[in-house]
Amino acid sequence: MQPEQQGLEVAVLVSVGRHPITGRARRAEQDARGVELALTLASELPGTRINVLHAGQQDINSEVALRGYLGMGLNSLTLLEQPEGSDAIAALAAYLTKALPPLVLTGTRAECGEGSGLLPYALAERLGWPLVNGLAAVETIENGVVTLLQALPRGQRRRLKVRLPAIVSVDEAGPVARQSAFGPARRAKFIVTSAIHEPDRELTQWHLAPARKRPKRLKIVKAASARDRFKAAASKAGGKSGQVLSDVTPEQGAVAILKLLEEEDVLR
Amino acid sequence: MSEIRRRDPRREWIARNRLHPEHASVLAALDGIEGGGATSEWLGPSGVIRKNPRAVGFIGPSGIKRIDRSGLQSGSQPTVSAMAVSGDSRRAVNIAEPAFLVAVVPDLIGGRLSAHDKDMLGLARRLADVDVGRPGAVVAILFCEHKEEALGEVGIDKVLHFNEAIYAGFAPEVRLAALTTVERELAPRYWLFPDSPLGGADLGRRLALRLNERPATGVWQIEADNEALLGWRCTARGAAGSLDIQRPLPRFVLALAECAEPVDETRHAAERLSIAGVTPTTLSRIEDLGQVAVDPAGVALAEAEFILSGGNGVKNWDAFHHAAKVLGATEGASRVAVDDGFMTRDRQVGATGTWVTARVYLAVGISGAIQHLQGIQRCDKVVAINLDPGCDMIKRADLAVIGDSAEILAALVGMVEQRRGGQRDAA
Amino acid sequence: MLETLLPILIFSALALAALGASRRVRLWRQGRPSSVPILKGLAAMPRRYLVDLHHVVGRDKVMSNTHVATAGGFVAAAVLMILVHGLGLGSSESMGPILGGLLLAASAAMFVGSRFVARRRRNPPARLSRGPWMRLPRSLMAFSGGVFLATLPTLGLLPDDFGSGVLALMLAAVVVWGLGEMVFGMTWGGPMKHAFAGALHLAFHRRPERFSSKQGGRRSTGLKALDLDDETAPLGVGTPSDFTWNQLLGFDACVQCGRCEAVCPAFAAGQPLNPKKLIQDMVVGLSGGSDASYTGSPHPGKPVGEHYGTPYGPIVGLAGQALVDAETLWSCTTCRACVEECPMMIEHVDAIVDMRRHLTLERGQTPNKGAGVLDNLIATDNPGGFDPGSRLHWAADLNLPLMADVKQAEVLLWLGDGAFDMRNQRTLRALVKVLRVAEVEFAVLGTEERDSGDVARRLGDEATFQRLARRNIATLSKYRFQRIVTCDPHSFHVLGNEYGELAEPGIPAQYEVRHHSTFIAELYDAGRLAFAPWKGGRVTYHDPCYLGRYNGEYEAPRRVLKALGIELKEMERSGFRSRCCGGGGGAPITDIPGERRIPDMRMNDVKESGAGLVAVGCPQCTAMLEGVVDASAEVRDIAELVADALVEPPSVNATGSPREPVVKATAEEVL
Ligand SMILES: Cc1cc2nc3c(=O)[nH]c(=O)nc-3n(C[C@H](O)[C@H](O)[C@H](O)COP(=O)(O)OP(=O)(O)OC[C@H]3O[C@@H](n4cnc5c(N)ncnc54)[C@H](O)[C@@H]3O)c2cc1C
Ligand code: SF4
Ligand code: SF4
Repeated sequence: MQPEQQGLEVAVLVSVGRHPITGRARRAEQDARGVELALTLASELPGTRINVLHAGQQDINSEVALRGYLGMGLNSLTLLEQPEGSDAIAALAAYLTKALPPLVLTGTRAECGEGSGLLPYALAERLGWPLVNGLAAVETIENGVVTLLQALPRGQRRRLKVRLPAIVSVDEAGPVARQSAFGPARRAKFIVTSAIHEPDRELTQWHLAPARKRPKRLKIVKAASARDRFKAAASKAGGKSGQVLSDVTPEQGAVAILKLLEEEDVLR
Repeated sequence: MSEIRRRDPRREWIARNRLHPEHASVLAALDGIEGGGATSEWLGPSGVIRKNPRAVGFIGPSGIKRIDRSGLQSGSQPTVSAMAVSGDSRRAVNIAEPAFLVAVVPDLIGGRLSAHDKDMLGLARRLADVDVGRPGAVVAILFCEHKEEALGEVGIDKVLHFNEAIYAGFAPEVRLAALTTVERELAPRYWLFPDSPLGGADLGRRLALRLNERPATGVWQIEADNEALLGWRCTARGAAGSLDIQRPLPRFVLALAECAEPVDETRHAAERLSIAGVTPTTLSRIEDLGQVAVDPAGVALAEAEFILSGGNGVKNWDAFHHAAKVLGATEGASRVAVDDGFMTRDRQVGATGTWVTARVYLAVGISGAIQHLQGIQRCDKVVAINLDPGCDMIKRADLAVIGDSAEILAALVGMVEQRRGGQRDAA
Repeated sequence: MLETLLPILIFSALALAALGASRRVRLWRQGRPSSVPILKGLAAMPRRYLVDLHHVVGRDKVMSNTHVATAGGFVAAAVLMILVHGLGLGSSESMGPILGGLLLAASAAMFVGSRFVARRRRNPPARLSRGPWMRLPRSLMAFSGGVFLATLPTLGLLPDDFGSGVLALMLAAVVVWGLGEMVFGMTWGGPMKHAFAGALHLAFHRRPERFSSKQGGRRSTGLKALDLDDETAPLGVGTPSDFTWNQLLGFDACVQCGRCEAVCPAFAAGQPLNPKKLIQDMVVGLSGGSDASYTGSPHPGKPVGEHYGTPYGPIVGLAGQALVDAETLWSCTTCRACVEECPMMIEHVDAIVDMRRHLTLERGQTPNKGAGVLDNLIATDNPGGFDPGSRLHWAADLNLPLMADVKQAEVLLWLGDGAFDMRNQRTLRALVKVLRVAEVEFAVLGTEERDSGDVARRLGDEATFQRLARRNIATLSKYRFQRIVTCDPHSFHVLGNEYGELAEPGIPAQYEVRHHSTFIAELYDAGRLAFAPWKGGRVTYHDPCYLGRYNGEYEAPRRVLKALGIELKEMERSGFRSRCCGGGGGAPITDIPGERRIPDMRMNDVKESGAGLVAVGCPQCTAMLEGVVDASAEVRDIAELVADALVEPPSVNATGSPREPVVKATAEEVL
């Protein structure tokens, strides 16, 4: 990798995550992958500076989560302090317009609040920067152009060239975040600046409730023949134990497997 | 897209005249132009898509015409077998004067409407058909070549097809430019996108924010609501799926799969539209250098969609690797296979290996120890090949074949190779 | 001539030794402070040596006698030599003959001992180091023989003028050799260093409570807590100087006897850990240099000579190699077999966990699934990441009384994380059945229970351990119970031995904890259980490390099995020598590859015992042994065996007197 002249500045936007089962505050999965990418980049491109940004308030919960990122080996985190319920986009956009880091990494969706995944797009729109989603790896950064790999389904990759400054979002295809260590997390500093406070009025008018289980779609069988209808009724309903073929020839077994592979559309 | 295609009135006339001696060849040629589309529809003289309902479907066993909507069989059916009486019970709908438009941008993964796309179209229909007297029309906006023949059958009234090469691959900026033009020209009442990571989720958010609107994302349910501005209320997943957010339905909707039932009772016109004013720019800050070749066998286990996993019951490892190659599957292994040195450690599935999320997990000669099963908890379909019908893997499997792994794998490989070979001959 | 030469030689050797000693002490003092009672320690040293050390050494009778003769002879000979030859008391009329005679006897005894040492060295087993250790018997003989001969003229057994010839010069040379090895070498390094460092190590041992007192033997196996409130205190050990000075002293005491190596399951499995080499690595680290001069077996798969370190340099390299590789530290199952066997009472497990703490807390480098397990423990209070609300789902039909409802009970049944595991749920069900039949008044914490913190602590995550422990302590403090009963020896150990240190004012954390086998044995003795006679085949019993070596409970499980009518087929390695199943210390999580699997070796032990069933008393052991492919024996928990054999207890005892504990086996029988 060719080192950029003065070293590159990478801003990583992080949010307060939420454990899917217990709801405890933690570093958000995708954001942590973003930090991981930045740290990898920094180890490959000496001189890279990482600025981890969070817009929100500082309390016990957020502290636990944010220190989770710091424990990955960062010295500090910039906290754009704003009261709960504020719109983070305005604060981040204002900060980024001033700081102008060439590369901004973000998670795709937050684990708390609306979690709409709009933030990277809103920032890109406000700043007028290109945006790429599904980042899997950064390959090179040269002359203000970043070459990166975007994740496609089935572990496939697409190579993209993006002109900097740019916003790149990371999802589950990004590299797994390294462990967060207690010592560095405890030592790292918060750099607190107060930020614009624009309450998200719309959100307060919505009704929020813990997610209900979605009803399972009933398989409406519109079979052509009585035989098909019978077969559909006789075949297992989802979730129950599966079909066992014993006393079949290898060929019969293979046919059954082939059929399933085709139904699932995994044969290419 | 300023112009859809140059018309050839004579050919169109021949295409409509089934008695014309050149009918078949012209149809075939049109077929080619239309990007793999079938002869069941073509461009009418007025620029409107014409359909030949007889060209779709096939004759069922009882002599009744069947239309297979799964898209599985239609490809192999002779398309001009259309002499039979139409037994289609579905109501044909043609909305000539739509009260409003509902724009849907399906993902068209691999040129086909995904199940998610069809659900979106179902949702669009609900929105369009709210007032029976004054129905809206569903406009599908398609990018690039596609293989769908029966667009009308999934509830599409009008089709806008952007087929230029610049839209291919990852081209969010040009696609966005096209969609903003659509907004300007057609001003649909709703915009619907599937909220799918590598498709609608991206494009939908871009468009909404370009147009300065706040979309509803992760929508999975809509209900009529007189108090809401647009007459609907929606429930959307928030906070990484842990929250249900109820809010009035906005203009921009990014919905999850199964947000509505796909259309299956009506047939729509799927009439081709064109709009003026789309000037595709090649100036883009994002350049797609194309897909990178990734060997399926080497794909990281956690990301693999189809895993062929071998355990202590695999005796012939060369055959196993060959099978993985033929099936295009990613290789996995039980710990015993790893310990015995047949597979590398990064291929181990289970508690101390990788937790996989494959759509299909084909376990060959793996007994299903709890530590192994932990690793495949999140797999969709598990297929087991094993000698022992009592082992735990069989209990977990959706399909289990009792027998010798080597023989069954060999038979499977043979069949797949044959299938591939056959396809290649046909092509 | 000898008369003038010997005092000079003796005192210059002593002077040099004193110099060496002060250098050695300075090396140890590079370590962190640790407060030990210096005088009390020195006073306790002889007893620790004679009783505790020889208790360990005495397991090998020949070696023990050899050592008594050699070391005893040497100490006596050295003292007498100073008196007789150094201070010239040999020529005193009254004392001379007595002292001289004693000196002859002492050096003769030492000489005999050194013959045995020499014999052992003729075909040394692989666990012994070579190099300088090979010359040790000759040095011992040089010293004892030299002193013996030099004393003869003093006693007039040889003509006085013997001391002035060429012979005398040769004798002096031999004595110089002897003195060089035995006195000079003792403090400047060399095989005899163990005597000097060992003696002080015994005196200043970091776990004085380990040693027996007049009241009997004691045990100290709990890990020591890190002070997390002090932000300046290092989190674990990153460089040799991060050890406390008495830990460094302890490493220096190693005699490279390799007993630890011989019992280490990780070493036997070909994983890159040799506890003896690890201790020697620390010795290299404390003085700085490379391991090239090490002459024993290496860490499997890691050639000697490639590692180096300094007192203030990293132990595990930040990039590339340093003193030891991380895999070495993560291979350990914390089974304590090495500590149990070490004649020098070195605490390998403490050292390994200290170094792991640094890797986890400072570097975030817990390998393999370690990081994920720790994240789960933080987020869900159990290592598997299961919904903590589902901890009691397995018992939905059992109607277990909850502490939250009953507030007090005789027995608090601690379920452990096995509650999430289908296999262990069978054991738990069996145990509940037994408790119900015996009409024990018990209750469970249910969803209030959290992981005990065992795995987190042994993976080096002291912060998570303390968080879990403090919350458990707070929960336990809400209820009243007489004792905790658990079928998980790891929880047993942590609750019983490691929570105490975390008590806070007003919230004590001392509990009476019983392993289920102990409790069942008590119930049986009290006549509250009765069993149908055993009809199965041959049975052996696997001692879980955390029950046996950590807590000394070898007897109760055997009593229970005997009560069931089972005649045990003991494995060759059982009791305190039991071989680990491979499941402790987070080893299955960090999963460092070796050539074999530890549980496979253990299952092989089972097979060799001829048993078709192995009784266990630990969910971890059950999982590991059941994970063995093509196993020859079935794995059952004691609770399951008991539950299966239950019959109506003898209808209420007329006298109500408990049954005589007829089946009580003694520890000797067991071992
Ligand atoms: C702490 C711990 C962690 C572990 N972690 C993991 C892990 O992460 N992943 C993992 O996989 N294991 C793990 N294990 C090991 C696990 O317990 C099992 O030992 C292992 O999964 C068994 O592998 P297997 O199914 O390949 O072998 P076996 O149990 O020997 O099963 C072989 C199967 O092949 C069948 N068979 C034999 N011959 C044929 C044939 N010709 N045709 C068809 N079928 C045949 C047999 O009927 C049998 O069912 C772990 C164990 C422990 C204790
Ligand atoms: S505790 Fe056990 S595994 Fe660890 S070094 Fe000692 S003997 Fe080896
Ligand atoms: S550590 Fe103990 S058991 Fe191991 S070689 Fe040294 S003295 Fe012997």
